[in-house]
Amino acid sequence: MARYLFGRLAGIVIVFWIVSVVIFLLMHAIPGGPYNEDKVPLTAEAKANYLRKYGLDRPLVEQYLLYMGNVLRGDFGVPFQSPTESVAGLIARTWPVSASLGLAALLVALPAGLLLGILAAARQNSWVDYLASATATLGLTVPNFVVAVWLVLLLAVQLKWLPTGGWGEWYHYIMPVTALALAPLALTARYTRTSILEVVRSDYVRTARSKGLSDRQILLRHTLRNAMIPLLTILAPQIPNLITGTIFIESIFRVPGLGKFFVSSILGRDYPMIMALLLLVAVLWSLVYLITDLLYTLVDPRVRLEGKKS
Amino acid sequence: MSWSKLPSRTQRTALLLLVLVAALLLQACAPAATAPDDGQEAAVPAGPVVNTLGKELPADAAPLDQQVLVYPYNGWRTFTTIDFFQAVYERADSLTDLLSDALVRLDKDFQVNPGAATEWSVDESGLVWTFKLDPNLMWNDGTPVTADDYVATFRYGADPEHAWDFSWYYQGVIRNWTQAVAGEVPVEEIGVRAVDAQTLEFTTEAPAPFLPAMLVYSATFQKAALEAHGGLYNSNPETSVSAGPYQLVEWTKDQRLVYAINPDYKGTNVPYIERIVVVNIGQPSQLMPAYEANEIDFVNGGGTLSPADLEIIGADPDLNAQYHPHYGDFRTYYFAFDTSQPPFDNLLVRQAFAHVLDRETILANVVKRQGMAAYSFLMPGFPAANSSAHQETYAFNVEGAQQLLAEAGYPNGEGFPKLTLKLRAEGPTPLAVAQAYAAALKESLGIEVEVNNMDFKAFMDELNAKPTGVQFTLISYGMDYLDPSNMLGVFLSGGRHPWSNAEYDSLVRDASSFTGDPAERVQMFQEAETILVNDAAFVFAYHQTPGDLIKPYLKGPALEPDANGVAAWHWPGFSSFSNLLSGVYISNEVSNYRQAPD
Amino acid sequence: MNHPPPVAAQRTLLGDAARRFARNRLALVGLAMVTILLTMAVGADQIAPYAYDAADPARALQFPSGQHWMGTDEVGRDVYSRIVHGTRISLSVGLGVMVLALLIGVPLGLLAGLSGGPVDYAIMRLVEVFTAVPALMLALLLISVFGGGLANVILALGGVAWLDSCRLLRAQLLSLRERDFVLAARTVGASGARIALRHLLPNSIAPLIVAVTIGIPVAIFAEAGLSFLGLGINDPIPSWGKMVGNALSYMRVYWHLGVFPTLAIAVTMLGFTFLGDGLRDAFDTAMNR
Repeated sequence: MARYLFGRLAGIVIVFWIVSVVIFLLMHAIPGGPYNEDKVPLTAEAKANYLRKYGLDRPLVEQYLLYMGNVLRGDFGVPFQSPTESVAGLIARTWPVSASLGLAALLVALPAGLLLGILAAARQNSWVDYLASATATLGLTVPNFVVAVWLVLLLAVQLKWLPTGGWGEWYHYIMPVTALALAPLALTARYTRTSILEVVRSDYVRTARSKGLSDRQILLRHTLRNAMIPLLTILAPQIPNLITGTIFIESIFRVPGLGKFFVSSILGRDYPMIMALLLLVAVLWSLVYLITDLLYTLVDPRVRLEGKKS
Repeated sequence: MSWSKLPSRTQRTALLLLVLVAALLLQACAPAATAPDDGQEAAVPAGPVVNTLGKELPADAAPLDQQVLVYPYNGWRTFTTIDFFQAVYERADSLTDLLSDALVRLDKDFQVNPGAATEWSVDESGLVWTFKLDPNLMWNDGTPVTADDYVATFRYGADPEHAWDFSWYYQGVIRNWTQAVAGEVPVEEIGVRAVDAQTLEFTTEAPAPFLPAMLVYSATFQKAALEAHGGLYNSNPETSVSAGPYQLVEWTKDQRLVYAINPDYKGTNVPYIERIVVVNIGQPSQLMPAYEANEIDFVNGGGTLSPADLEIIGADPDLNAQYHPHYGDFRTYYFAFDTSQPPFDNLLVRQAFAHVLDRETILANVVKRQGMAAYSFLMPGFPAANSSAHQETYAFNVEGAQQLLAEAGYPNGEGFPKLTLKLRAEGPTPLAVAQAYAAALKESLGIEVEVNNMDFKAFMDELNAKPTGVQFTLISYGMDYLDPSNMLGVFLSGGRHPWSNAEYDSLVRDASSFTGDPAERVQMFQEAETILVNDAAFVFAYHQTPGDLIKPYLKGPALEPDANGVAAWHWPGFSSFSNLLSGVYISNEVSNYRQAPD
Repeated sequence: MNHPPPVAAQRTLLGDAARRFARNRLALVGLAMVTILLTMAVGADQIAPYAYDAADPARALQFPSGQHWMGTDEVGRDVYSRIVHGTRISLSVGLGVMVLALLIGVPLGLLAGLSGGPVDYAIMRLVEVFTAVPALMLALLLISVFGGGLANVILALGGVAWLDSCRLLRAQLLSLRERDFVLAARTVGASGARIALRHLLPNSIAPLIVAVTIGIPVAIFAEAGLSFLGLGINDPIPSWGKMVGNALSYMRVYWHLGVFPTLAIAVTMLGFTFLGDGLRDAFDTAMNR
C-alpha cells in the first residue's frame, strides 16, 4: 500500500512537470500578448517596452526555468488581470467560492441522480423509466448557460423572488446550484440505471437470489455497490470541473469565483494565471484519481491496487 | 413589491418551453402591471435639500440616502484600474476617472469647457500652450494640486517602463513623446513642463489646434502617491487619494466598487449624487435582466444590448421611453481590404465589392435602431462630416458590380479566391451584418466568403502583422476627441490598415496642423475623405447609434436635449471628462423602483 | 426479468444479439432515429428546401410558418434547411470525435487493464496528463495555435475525449478480471489474449456504449463552445452547437433560433441512447446466457 501510494505521488510530480512544459509552450504559441491593442497598433517600441516589463522578451527556456524556479519557492507570480494581488492570493480568494458552489451542486445532484437512476432501473421500461430518461436527456442536451438565462428571466425578472445575481447570502446559491446540478444529476441517473441493470443480470446476483436473499437486500448489498464502479469513473472527472467553477454559470450569476479565469486568462494572455490554473487543476485532478482508485478497492474488493500480473 | 409587465406573447411561448406549469400559473395569476406614476404625488413642501458639498438639490430630488447611482461594469473584461493614464483598456466599461479633474471637460454639445484649467492660450508659433490651473484644487490629504502632478502624470504616460496602452494618443503631438516612449530621450524631455505651481506648459511637434479638445484625457495622478505606491495606488482605498468629486471607499474584487462624494472637493464639477455603487454584472447578456429587475440604473447600449433586448424595449412603451439613442462616440463600422495584395490591389474588384452592399435592407432588417447607413467615414454631426456628398459614389448596384468584377478578370466570380471575413470578437449585430454581406457576395458575385468572428487579441495580432494577416474584415472606429484629425488619422499610412495614399496623408496632416480659417480646414478634411471613399479600400457600412437605458428617475440638466435635440447620456459619460457628472440627480420617482442601495 | 427460454440450437453471439435487438421496441426506435439522421446528413442537399447559406435580410427573424417551418435566422436564412445541413457537420463532429476517442482509448485501456504493472502505471500517468488539463481549455489552446476548421476541431476534441473510454475500460477490466468466468477460463488454460478478446472485451462493452452515446452530444456542444469563442467552424457552414450559441442573443424573443437546434441535439442524443441501450441489452443477455 505504501509503495503504491508512493508510486502514485511520484506520478503526480511527473504529471505536474509534463503539464507545465506542454502548457508553457502552447500558451506562448498563441498569437497576441498581454499588451492591449485596440484602435491603433502599438509602436514596436511600446510593445517591446511592455514585453520587457514582464520579462517576456527573454528566451522561452529562460522564462520557463525562471517561472518554475519561482513556483518551487511557492511564488506563482502576479496575474496580469489583477496586478494588485498575487496569483496564489487570487486563487485563495476565488476558489473557495467556486468550490462551495460546486459542492452544493454535487450534494444536490448525487442523491437526486441516484434516486432517479434506481427508480428507473427498478421499474425498467415503465413510465418512471421513461420520465427519468427524458429528464436525463434534457439535463445533458440543454446547455447549463441556457438553463441559467431562463432561471434569471423567470425567478428574478418575472417573479422577482430572487435577485438576478450576486454573492454573499444563502439565496444567491439557489439559481447557480440548480443550473450546475442538472448535468451531473442526469449523468448519475443514467449510469446508475445502466450499471444496476448490468449487475442485476450478473452471475453473483443470480447466485444471491438463488440463495434466497430478498430484492432489497440484493439491491443494497450487491447491486448498488457494484454499480458504483463505472459511476465513480464517470463522476470523478466532474468533481474537479464543478469545484473549479463553471465560466458561464459564474458570469451569469455574478459569482466571484475562479471559473471565469479559465477563459479570461487565455483571452487576456495572462500567462502566470494560465500556468497556475492548469497546474492547480493538474494536481487536483491527479489527487481525485488517486482517491477514486482507492475508493474502487472499497466498493469492489476484487479490484487490487497493485494490479499484479497473475 | 411591484409586478413587472406581463410577458409578451413570444416571451410566454419561450417560457413555456422551460417551465410549462409555472408559466401558465404566472399568466393566470399575475395582476395587471402597475405603471409607476410619473411624480403624481404632490411634492412635500420643505426647505431646500443640500448635499455634502453644499449643492442644493432640485425640488423633485429624492432624499440624500437615495442619491445613489447604481452602475454596471462588464465582469468579463479585465479590470485593474480606474485611471486612464494607468491602462485605458483595463477599465471594464466601469465608472472611472472620478478622482481628479481633467484639464478640460466636455458639455453635452461636445464643446470644450474649463476643467482643472481655468484658461489657456497658445503662442504665436502655435506650438507652445499655456494652461492656468484652478488654484483652489486640493487633494483630500490636504496638499494642493499643482502643475507638478500633471507633469508627473504625462511623464508616467510616456515612460517606457510603464508601457502605457494609450501612448500612441499623444505620439506626434506632444514634443519628444514618441522618442521618450522609444526610450531615446528621458521622459523629463517631453513637451510638458511646470512653469510654476499653477502654470502648465505644453509644447507640440507641429501646430495642434485640437490640443485642448485632446486634453480631455488628462485626469491627473498625485505625484507623491504615484512615486510612493506606483500607478495602481487608486486600486486600493487605503492608498487612494482624490482631488476629484468622488473618493474610492470600497473595491471588492469581482463584485463591486463604491465611491462616495469627496467632502474636500474644491473644483467646479460639483455633483448632486452622493454615492456611486458600481456592480459587476457578469456578462453583457445580463444587463437587461438586471435593469428590468431594478438592480441597476443605467445600461450603456453601445454594442451591449442584444437584438432580443431591443425587440423587448421596442414592444414595451415604458422601456421604450427609457431608451435614449445618441451618437455614442461617432463610431463607424466599415469593411476593409488588404489593398497591398491581389485581388484587392485591383480598384475594380474593390468597386465591385462596394456596389453589392445593400445598406438600406441591412439597416432596416439587421441593424435597425442601432445605426444609420454610412456612405463615408465621418458620421453626420461630426465636424467636417460630408455624408450626403458620397451617397451615390457606390450605390447598391448588383449589375454594375458584376460588370466591374468581370472587367477585373473574374466574370461571375470565376477564379476569385475563397475569402475569410474576419471579425474582432464582435457582438451579434456586426456579426449579422457580416453574414448578410458575405451571403450577398456569394449570391451576386459568386464569391465564397466564410465569416470568422475571432478572439480579440488573435485578431489584432493578425491585423497588425507586417504584412497583415487580415485580408478582409468588418471593423469599427470611434472618436477619442471631437476633431477630424482623430477619426481620419486612423487611415494614415503605417496605421491600422495597409492602404496608403500620399495625397490623403498630406491632406490630413496639413489640415490637422492648420491654424487658419476653420472653414478651409474643414474643406481639406473633406477632400481627404473623398479620396478615402473613392478609392474603395474601405466600404463604409453603418454609423453606430447606440441607445442607453436610463431609469426615469435619473434627471438633470445634462440629460435635457442638446443643441440637436438629443436627450442622452452623452459621451464620454459620467467622469471628470464631462460635466454630465455634475448634471444628474435622482428624482423622488425612485421610490417606485427601489430602496436606497446599501 | 423474463428471459426467453434458451433454444437448443447452436447460435452465434452476434446472431443471438441481433434477435434480442429486433425484439426491443425502443432499440428499434433508436435505430430508426439514427438512420433518419444519417439519411439527412447524406441527402441534405435533396431534403433541405433552401440552401443553407441563402440569406435574405428582408426576411430576417421570421417566426415559424408554412414557408419556413422553423422560421428564419438573423439574416433571413431558413432555419430548417440549416438544421438539415447541420446534421452533416454535427454528426461528423460527434461521430468523428468518438471514433477517434475509441481508436485511442480502447487499445490503451485494454493494455492498461490487462497488463497492469509498469505499463498500467505509464498509461494511467498519460491519462492523468491529458485529464489534468480541462478538456475545453486544452482544445482552446490547441485550436488557438493550430487554427480552426472541421478537421482540427475533431482532432482537438478527439485528442482529449479518449480518456473516458480508456479509463472506463480499464476499470471494467480490473473488476472483471477476478470474476468467476475469467477464472474459469484461466483454469481451463485459455491464453491471456484469448481471455481478453473472447471474455473481457465483450463484457466491457456496455459502459463503453453508454460513454459513446453520451460523448456524441458532449462533442457537439464542445464544438459549440469553440465556435462561440471564434475558434470553431466558420459561418455560413451550419453546426447545431454554433446555432445554439448564436441564438443566445436572440432567444428571449426569437425562441425558434434556440429551440430547434437544441431539439435536434436532443433527438440525436435520444436516438443514440436508445440504440446504445438496445445494443447493450442485446449483447449483455446474449452473453450472460
